[in-house]
Amino acid sequence: MAGPLAPAWAPETTTREESDLDRPWVTVVWDDPVNLMTYVTFVLQELFGYDEPTATELMLQVHNEGKAIVSSGPRERMEHDTNRLHAYGLWATYQRDA
Amino acid sequence: MKPFRRKGEELVARLVDAEAGIVGLLLDQLEQLLAADPTDSGGDPVIERLLPPGHASDPEIAADYRDLTEAGLRTGKSDDLAVVRATLPLEGGEVRLDPEQARAWLRTTNDLRLALGTRIGISAESEPPEDPTDEEGSQLAVYYWLTAVQGSLVDALAAGRGGRW
Repeated sequence: MAGPLAPAWAPETTTREESDLDRPWVTVVWDDPVNLMTYVTFVLQELFGYDEPTATELMLQVHNEGKAIVSSGPRERMEHDTNRLHAYGLWATYQRDA
Repeated sequence: MKPFRRKGEELVARLVDAEAGIVGLLLDQLEQLLAADPTDSGGDPVIERLLPPGHASDPEIAADYRDLTEAGLRTGKSDDLAVVRATLPLEGGEVRLDPEQARAWLRTTNDLRLALGTRIGISAESEPPEDPTDEEGSQLAVYYWLTAVQGSLVDALAAGRGGRW
């Protein structure tokens, strides 16, 4: 019977740098006093294709907790998402996931 | 103002001449802000809000982001503004928008509210003015009027979701 070969050796720990690189980036929307709740919900649906309940839940998280993660993935994509949110005037930033 | 509502394929509102005139003036101011040399407008809180940093704490990432996106953001906002100008009846009258133009109105009225709201220091506790005739009251009144315009546009667009919009 042919089975998968066991690796000859396995690194016991990954370096800190590697695990940092593996961590995804996230796009965060922050609460602000100007943007309408209905507008924020609309924009999240429009840009990310969320259904209305999901978009509403994220909007409420922004409103009640001050911020919410609205997307995650590679850095370039989070840059792009932040840019699209800025085009709609939402207060957004991207960062490595904490 | 007769707020935005759906009429077949279009979104329709009606502005009186004074309202259209105010929107025109605000568009002029926003256009000047967006066209100003970025190095001259550094530190202006309105520009900071319209073109915010991409990273909350890392200035290097924020600078990279700005290099990458600022010109495009300015162009996009200017293009939206041009659509609003082209569809605004300056003497007052009907505003009639297709879904694409409606999104330009949505983004531009939001930019106008962000600019005005930042200038007059809108907070979560702000309320419409009791006396809309004094200087501060009249700016607040314009802000809340824009809020009503944008709110009706969002509601009309959201109501059309699920269809072809």
